[in-house]
Amino acid sequence: MNISLFAGAILNGLVTGMLYALMGVGLSLILGLLNIPNFAHGVLYAIGAYVMVSTVKTFGFVAGALAALVAVAVLGAGIEALGVRRLSGVHPDYILLLTFGLSLILTEGIILVWGPVGITSQPPALLAGGIDLGVTVYPKYRLAVMVVTAALVAACYLFVTRTRYGAIIRAGIEDKDMAAALGINIRRVFTLTFAAGAGLAALGGALMAPTRGLQPTMGLDILPFAFVVVVLGGLGSLPGAILAGLLVGVVQSLMTAIWPPGADASVFALMTLGIIARPQGLLGHR
Amino acid sequence: MTGAVLLRTEGLICDFGAVRAVNGVSLSVAAGTLHSLIGPNGSGKTTLFNLIAGEIRPSDGRVYFDGHDVTGLPSYRLPHRGLARCFQRTNVFPKLTVHDNVWAAAFSRRRTGTLGFLRRASAFSDVEADVDGILGDVGLMHKRSAPAETLSHGQQRALEVGVTLASSPRLVLLDEPTQGLAPEATQQMTRLVQRLVGRYTILLIEHKMRIVMSISDRISVMAFGELIAEGTPDEVRDNPDVQRAYLGGRR
Amino acid sequence: MVLLPLFVRPVVAAEIWIFSIAAMALNLIFGYTGMLSFGQATFFGLAAYTAGLMMIHWHAPLLAVLVAGTLVGAVAAAAIGYVCIQRVGTYFIMLTFGFNQMFYFIAYKWTSLTGGDDGLPGIPRPPLALGPLGVRLDSSLRYYVFVAAIFLLAFYAMKRIVDSPLGVIFQAIRENPGRAAAVGYDVKRYKWIAFTIAGGFTGLAGVLYSMMFGIVPIESISWIISGDIVFMVLIGGIGNLYGPLLGAAAFKWLSEAISVVWERWPLILGVALVLVVLFLRGGLVEALTRLREALGGAPPRPEPGDGAPVRVATESEATP
Repeated sequence: MNISLFAGAILNGLVTGMLYALMGVGLSLILGLLNIPNFAHGVLYAIGAYVMVSTVKTFGFVAGALAALVAVAVLGAGIEALGVRRLSGVHPDYILLLTFGLSLILTEGIILVWGPVGITSQPPALLAGGIDLGVTVYPKYRLAVMVVTAALVAACYLFVTRTRYGAIIRAGIEDKDMAAALGINIRRVFTLTFAAGAGLAALGGALMAPTRGLQPTMGLDILPFAFVVVVLGGLGSLPGAILAGLLVGVVQSLMTAIWPPGADASVFALMTLGIIARPQGLLGHR
Repeated sequence: MTGAVLLRTEGLICDFGAVRAVNGVSLSVAAGTLHSLIGPNGSGKTTLFNLIAGEIRPSDGRVYFDGHDVTGLPSYRLPHRGLARCFQRTNVFPKLTVHDNVWAAAFSRRRTGTLGFLRRASAFSDVEADVDGILGDVGLMHKRSAPAETLSHGQQRALEVGVTLASSPRLVLLDEPTQGLAPEATQQMTRLVQRLVGRYTILLIEHKMRIVMSISDRISVMAFGELIAEGTPDEVRDNPDVQRAYLGGRR
Repeated sequence: MVLLPLFVRPVVAAEIWIFSIAAMALNLIFGYTGMLSFGQATFFGLAAYTAGLMMIHWHAPLLAVLVAGTLVGAVAAAAIGYVCIQRVGTYFIMLTFGFNQMFYFIAYKWTSLTGGDDGLPGIPRPPLALGPLGVRLDSSLRYYVFVAAIFLLAFYAMKRIVDSPLGVIFQAIRENPGRAAAVGYDVKRYKWIAFTIAGGFTGLAGVLYSMMFGIVPIESISWIISGDIVFMVLIGGIGNLYGPLLGAAAFKWLSEAISVVWERWPLILGVALVLVVLFLRGGLVEALTRLREALGGAPPRPEPGDGAPVRVATESEATP
């Protein structure tokens, strides 16, 4: 494999990895605070992509991304307030099943609204075409996406670790009852956190839409990888999700270059090895 | 009816990060006796139970049961050695019936081999007999078929003790069996514990002083994670360190 | 059971019994032991492919294939279960899901072995050799009878397991794993046993499925089937021996009926799941019980230790 191909694979890996990290961060926030694996996370990503594509034609790229973020965040808030919250006293398995049911409903919803056939979308004219990096020529848009998602992930991390609201979220993750007892409106925190996680997924979808194309099952397709990222990184650990996301992205991309048939399976093999070697995840606690 | 030492701890230490919950506790419980463990809240009594019963690994120190070193064994091994404990907060199987709660505990020591699992649970008549015996002891025969979660608090404490006794242990760690009970239920529980003396060796955590003084053979007193006194009820009652620990001075 | 082919086509009826076996298996680990597995299709699919390959390449006889598939399911579950059981709750679920995905991708890409997306075609139905007798199973009706018979055997086996001490131990683990350990049970070991048994049953179902249409589709090992099985157990009613049967029947019948009319029938499925999760967690069993109560007459009290209905979660949270 020549250097150009290798460099391209690494870059692809970083782009995908950043996306996975973004998905992982959103999923991890929801998981840490609400103690549920959000099976609907994938379809929220998908809806973000679709909303973006629909809005972009009329209102432009940035508006499209914002529309995706807002629409799905609202959807996420609705899911939490109307569904998840009702199950608060019940075994968490049921919340998982709720989100699973929702993922089916929403996926079918996508087909009803946008049709079953795949759609393609183009990057904004400003970022079209490739850029010469010396070792290889790489699509400008993808580089931009990598930078933007990295910035988003960093912003999330800083928000959660440095701001007061972030401290509230972390307190809620540690001990919900105590946080509530300290006067924190834990319900609002839950709803907003779910909305934020959903919004992050939507942004991921919106940004990646021009690079991957859209089809109704794209949510179900990406969900297992998001899960791997969170399990490998350590449940509830944001740095873990980031690290694992990048790792998974790069591994998958390299395998696609070296031995395509094994690319996807290798991700899960990685997860298995990770769990066996370090049951709490790369950066998880306990 | 004191016999050889059945349970012995040696310098048990338990650290939770920077907090030392148990600091070098060495005590011995003689077979056939009722040995009480008392002390103000937070003195480490339940933590000591957890160390002995395998729920937590000690940071240092050893636990000997019947002459064998059982330090750090996982909790599920201890009933097979003859040691069982009950919990301060009722810790039974909520949706199982009272009968099944006790049955599960009673069955755990049966050596059935793989083939034994082909028989119906109800066909193990010896286990059924054990269960009936326990339910009779704790006075829950009339609630046999009731799901555990439907029991009153007092009945649940009785079930808690019943489940503990069901594995036919030699040593029973009872953690505040009268916790939260009204006076009459407390009396019933006390009488139950007294009935157990002789059949089992008992290490009892209890806060109600009158009970402790009247039924114990020996008492150990803990404060701030350490053993500060030990002896017969009279010796402990007159001990100035004990009085200070309970009544004033350091808090 | 005998009457079922009168109401639905034998093919659908046979599928109901096949999936009842798989649903019973999930019920054992979820309803009775409290472990939600979102990856049962791993064992279903592995057994189906094994059986298919054995019949195509080696012309293996029927009984050999049934045994092999069950063993494949059990062994795979033993291996995968050993890893998954090291974790509980969410982790466990995601691990079962992850393993399912891994095998799916392997099956998808290994087209020379599995046919990939196109499936593994050309699977015969070997005759049932009962001593000197050889019963051919070519027609749908005959195959239905055979499947129903296997189901009855599987049901009987499951009932024996659930009525045995294992049934009580599994439920104790579900109710309070900490206490189960404190009274003397190696909880991880028993969880592993439950998972392995369930894998065997699921494998058996997979073998029967492979001979259903003469082809093993890639879906057999996809998490769609895993999800379907979860549906069936949930909709039918967890922790109850008959729940999975109701669930499988409802699921298959509905999917047949609706998919003809509306292609978007998974939407209905999703809605049904959401409604059950929010309002009727006991599933159809609970619905029927309530109906019976409403029509007068008290529900039968559960006898001690007879493996009869112990409903899992209603409104109460797990106690510490």
